Amino acid sequence: MIRVVTLDDLDPADLAFLTRNLYRAFGLGTEAAGRKPMPRGVEGKDGRVDAVALLREAPAVRTFADDKVLYITTAPLSIPPGPLGEPPCWGFAEYGKNRALVSTARLPGRGTSEASVEAFRRRLAREAIHAVGHLWDLHHCVDGRCAMHPSWSPSLPASPEMDLCAFCREKSERKIRLAKT
Amino acid sequence: MRGPPPRHPDEPREQLPPVEGFISDAVELIPGVRVVYPNQGVCAVVGIEEKDISGQKLQLVRMRREEDGAAVLVPRNKVPAIGLRRVATGGQIQGVFHYLAAQFDDPELDWKIRHRDNADRLIAGGVLGLAEVVKGLHSLSRLRPLPAKEREQYDNARHLLVHEVAVALGVSAGLAEDYIDYALMPPVGVKFDVPPPPAPVMLPSRPRHRRPAAEEEGDLGDLGLGDLGIDLDLVEGAEKPEVAEEVAEEGVEGVEAAKAPEGEAEGEAEPPAEEVADEAPEKARAARTKPVKKAAPAKARKPAKKADKAVEKPSPKEKPSKKAVAKAAPKRGGKKK
Repeated sequence: MIRVVTLDDLDPADLAFLTRNLYRAFGLGTEAAGRKPMPRGVEGKDGRVDAVALLREAPAVRTFADDKVLYITTAPLSIPPGPLGEPPCWGFAEYGKNRALVSTARLPGRGTSEASVEAFRRRLAREAIHAVGHLWDLHHCVDGRCAMHPSWSPSLPASPEMDLCAFCREKSERKIRLAKT
Repeated sequence: MRGPPPRHPDEPREQLPPVEGFISDAVELIPGVRVVYPNQGVCAVVGIEEKDISGQKLQLVRMRREEDGAAVLVPRNKVPAIGLRRVATGGQIQGVFHYLAAQFDDPELDWKIRHRDNADRLIAGGVLGLAEVVKGLHSLSRLRPLPAKEREQYDNARHLLVHEVAVALGVSAGLAEDYIDYALMPPVGVKFDVPPPPAPVMLPSRPRHRRPAAEEEGDLGDLGLGDLGIDLDLVEGAEKPEVAEEVAEEGVEGVEAAKAPEGEAEGEAEPPAEEVADEAPEKARAARTKPVKKAAPAKARKPAKKADKAVEKPSPKEKPSKKAVAKAAPKRGGKKK
């Protein structure tokens, strides 16, 4: 089961689109688990939220074994810089565990036109599938059309697909089958 | 200890210096120490225990794979042979990132060589070997889609690299993967000013899988008849010399011998004659030691002469004769019927 928790306001129609596509991608029941308050003390000096700290401090949601929780926020995220600098952060997941986080700050503006709303929803769904994929032990994929391809990659198309490639899909299905529940 | 296990028992294994951090003695495996098990990942040493297996008392090093908690037991005396190594140091990790961020590296296009080399790097290449596999296959994936096997190999290499980098940097695996991919495929407009990457991992030379045709044909004579006490010379109808001639006619070595001066041809032809002598039973060999040594050059000259002819003129007469032999065989069979 995938539970989607919002830390800021999100349109219910967008949330419904998201849960539908998460179900389609992983074949797992997906439901919105309501809104929770943003934890305090996770904002950095530059106004961005530390993704690692946020995921650690995020309010708990009642789950069963193998349930995955996806938090959605509108705040821009940051992660600690690595040996070559700080990678751009669209979301963050505890690899192979049960908590992931996605931000809408880097997504294309939602706007009001049908096309812009559709683009926003599709990109949000793509990033959500990417984050939940990490929870099912999926690594970044070399295929630019796969949802597991890094979000900042230059080979990512302008409107990326919100599907997994055959390899990642098979791997996630295998992991889900082996899960306890 | 660094190279992969020899693929062919006859080939000597090339000795290369072990990878940095290689653990050559089980004494270093103190409980709590983190080590990298090739192709398995980072493990924490739990302790040393003694087990009775098939009546033998074995000292086993118990380790726990950090990724999933799986138990790994290794006989203590086999620790040097496994290729265990310490977790990569800060310097090594810097080298890995410099390597990943380096400019496009021409991938090996021959899939056989590539797959084999990558398998070797995963086992014996250390953390830089993992990075090389990831970088190489990633570069290739930009040219064409990876085959299923290599896609799997890429995923395995990435998995091992992510976990080792995570342990070495003390961050979560998710962060480590972001760092790796940031170096591997930087966003538009980002360029890294990094020092030149470290030298690539040295792999031991590979034995040839296929032996030369002449060598393989030479083995046809070794049918184990000597062990059975059968001497082809004593058996009626045995066509031992003809077999040798045909081999020389068709074999590459026969032609080369024809081109070479006579002395060299003799020198090259001698070993097969000695091999034939070795096949005979020991008693017969003892009796015929001298004649065989004298006869050896004579046997070797025959093919050389025939090979001369083959080089000078294409022998049209020989072909019909072979056909005639081939045709004669069914006739015999017909009579028997």
